Amino acid sequence: MNRTAITALIAKDLRLFFRNRFFAFVTVLGLVFYVIVYWAMPASVDETLRLGMRVPPPLRALLAEDEEVEGVQLQFVASDEELQQYVVNGDVLGGIAFPDDALERLRAGETPTVTIYLASDAEPEVREMLVVLVEALALTASGVPLDVRVHEEILGPDLAGSQVPSRDRMLPLLAVMVLMVETLGLASLIAEEVHSGAVRALLVTRLRVSTLFAAKTLTGIVLILPQAALLMLLTGGLSRRPLLVLIALFLGALTAIATSFLMASVGRDMLSVMGIGIPTFILLALPTFGVLFPGAFTGWVRLIPSYYMAETVHRVANFGAGWGEVWANLAILAGINALLFILGIAALRRRLV
Amino acid sequence: MTLTHTPGPAIAAEHLTYRYGELTAVDDISFTVAEGEVLGFLGPNGAGKTTTVKMLTGQTPPHSGRATLLGADVARDPAGVQARIGVCFEITNLYEQMTALENLRLFARLFGMRDVDPEALLRRVGLDGRGSDRVAGYSKGMKQRLMVARALVNRPRILFLDEPTEGLDPVSAEAIRTLVQEERERGVTVFLTTHDMLEADRLCDRVAFINRGRIAALDTPHNLKQRYGQRLVRAQVEGPEGRLESREITLDTAATAAELQALFSSERVVTIHSEEASLEDIFIHITGRGLVV
Repeated sequence: MNRTAITALIAKDLRLFFRNRFFAFVTVLGLVFYVIVYWAMPASVDETLRLGMRVPPPLRALLAEDEEVEGVQLQFVASDEELQQYVVNGDVLGGIAFPDDALERLRAGETPTVTIYLASDAEPEVREMLVVLVEALALTASGVPLDVRVHEEILGPDLAGSQVPSRDRMLPLLAVMVLMVETLGLASLIAEEVHSGAVRALLVTRLRVSTLFAAKTLTGIVLILPQAALLMLLTGGLSRRPLLVLIALFLGALTAIATSFLMASVGRDMLSVMGIGIPTFILLALPTFGVLFPGAFTGWVRLIPSYYMAETVHRVANFGAGWGEVWANLAILAGINALLFILGIAALRRRLV
Repeated sequence: MTLTHTPGPAIAAEHLTYRYGELTAVDDISFTVAEGEVLGFLGPNGAGKTTTVKMLTGQTPPHSGRATLLGADVARDPAGVQARIGVCFEITNLYEQMTALENLRLFARLFGMRDVDPEALLRRVGLDGRGSDRVAGYSKGMKQRLMVARALVNRPRILFLDEPTEGLDPVSAEAIRTLVQEERERGVTVFLTTHDMLEADRLCDRVAFINRGRIAALDTPHNLKQRYGQRLVRAQVEGPEGRLESREITLDTAATAAELQALFSSERVVTIHSEEASLEDIFIHITGRGLVV
C-alpha cells in the first residue's frame, strides 16, 4: 500500500466532503442536535402507577392504607365526571368507580357494578390489570381475604426504581443516524467521482484499485468514528466499558462504509444516492426502535446488520454488559461486514473500469 | 530539458483486440511509435480510438494481443508504465470542487513527485493567476488546458491526448497545440487521437487511420497525400458575357503541360492555384466514410 497516496486521497475526500454544503451542515448540525435532544429528555423513568378512584366513604377507609403502596398512587375523586376528566386528561392511567352502596351490597352477597374508565388508547393489559385490581378490592371489601403468599423473583438485573430512561435507549438510534448521514455523504462522493470519470484519472497514476478502496475505507472511518465517539462521550455512552462501545461503533462504521460502496455502485450523484440511501437508512434504523420500544419487533430484526451494533451499544452503555455477553454480537457483525465488503467492492469495481 | 532515448519503440502494439460483447471495438491492430514521435490516431467516433488508448494506458486489459510502452509490458507492470505516461482524457474528469492547484498537487502526490511546481504548469497552459479558483467556475477550454497540465504533472515520457481540442475555442485549442509541439521538442512521444485532420496534419509526424477497429493506413501525412491524393491546378477563367467559370487540370500526368498551355492560350485566366488532397479526402478515399460521424 502506498501511504502517501492514501493520505493524499483521504485529504482530498475530506476536503470534497466538507465543500458539499449539505453534508457539512448536516454533519455539524446533526451532532449538535442529537446531543441537545439527548439532554432535553428526562434522565429518569417515572415508575409510579397513577390510578383514579371514586369510592364511597366506607370503602375509602379500607383503601386508605393502600394509598401509600410503593409505585402506586391513588387519586381519589368525588364524582364520576371528575374521574372521567382525570382519565381523558391523562392524569391517571385509568379510573375505577364504585357505586355508593358497593360495600353494603358486597356484604349482602349481591353483585354491584363497578365501572372502569380507560383512555381510548389504553393498552389491553391496563384494562386487565384494573379488572384484577377491582376483584382484589372487592374481596378485601367483602371481608374475605385472599389466602395466597406472593414470592417475587427477578430474572436478570432488578431494574425496579432504576429503569433505563428513553434518552439512553435512544443512544443506538443516535449512533445509527450519525453512521447513516456519513454513509450517504461518502456514497455520493464516490458515486460522483465515478460518474465524472475522475476515478479513471486516478487509476492511470501509480494508484492501484486496492489502494483506492483502502483510502475510501479509511476516509469513512475518519468521517464516522470520531463523530460517533464524540456523540457517545457527550451523552455519557462511554461511561461504562468505553472500549467495547468503541469497538461496536467501529464495526458499525465498517457496515456503513460497505453499504456506501453498494450505494455508490448504483448511484450517479447525490440525489440518486439519496433515493437509495433513505430506504436503507430506515431499514438500518429499525433495530434501534426495538431498543427504544422493547418488544416492538420479533426475531426477524436480527437479519438487519445494524441490530448487532445497536444491541451491543445498548447492553454495554446502559447495562454495563461485558465481553462475555456481547462477543457473539460483535463476531456476527464482523462476519456480516466481511460479506458486505466483498459485495460492495465487487459491485463498485465493475464501475471503475 | 530533453529526454534520453531508450532503444526500441516508445509504444509497441501487437495484435491488440478488444470486444464489447458481440462488437469488436479494436480488431487485431499492430503498430509502433518511435520515441519523440507524434502519432495521430484518426478516425470517426466509435472507430476504436479511445478503447485503444485505454488498452495502451493500462486502464483496460486487451482481450488478446500485447502492448509495450518504453519496453515494459502494460498488462504485467501497469504501475511501472503509468508512472512514465501522462493521459489527457476525452471527457473532463477533474475534481471540480477543488482548485486547479489542489488538483495538480493531488496528482503530483499520487505520482510521488515532490519537486513539481504546479504554478509553472499552470503558466504553461495559460492559467496563471487562476490556480486558486475552483475548477467548477472554469470554461470548457480552461478545464481542457488544466487536464493537459495534469497530464504533464509527472513529466511523462509518453503523452496520450484523447481529442484534446474538441469543441474548444480557437485560443484554447492553439494553446494545447503549442504545448504538444513543445513537448515533442523535449523528446516526449505523443499519441494524439483526434478527428481534426488539419490539426493532425500540422502536429503529427505520422498518422494512423482507424476505421471500424482496424488500422486502414499508417504513414506520414506527406506520403499519404502522395499515395492517395490527387494534385490539381484549379483556375477561374472569364467566360462568355464576363461570367467566371472554373477549370481543373490534374497534375503529374503526361497531358498536364499541354493542358496548362492550352488554358493560358485560349482562356482569360483570372485566378489560378494548385491544390493537394487533404487528409480528410484521403480518409474518405481509403475508408469510404467521413470523419465526423
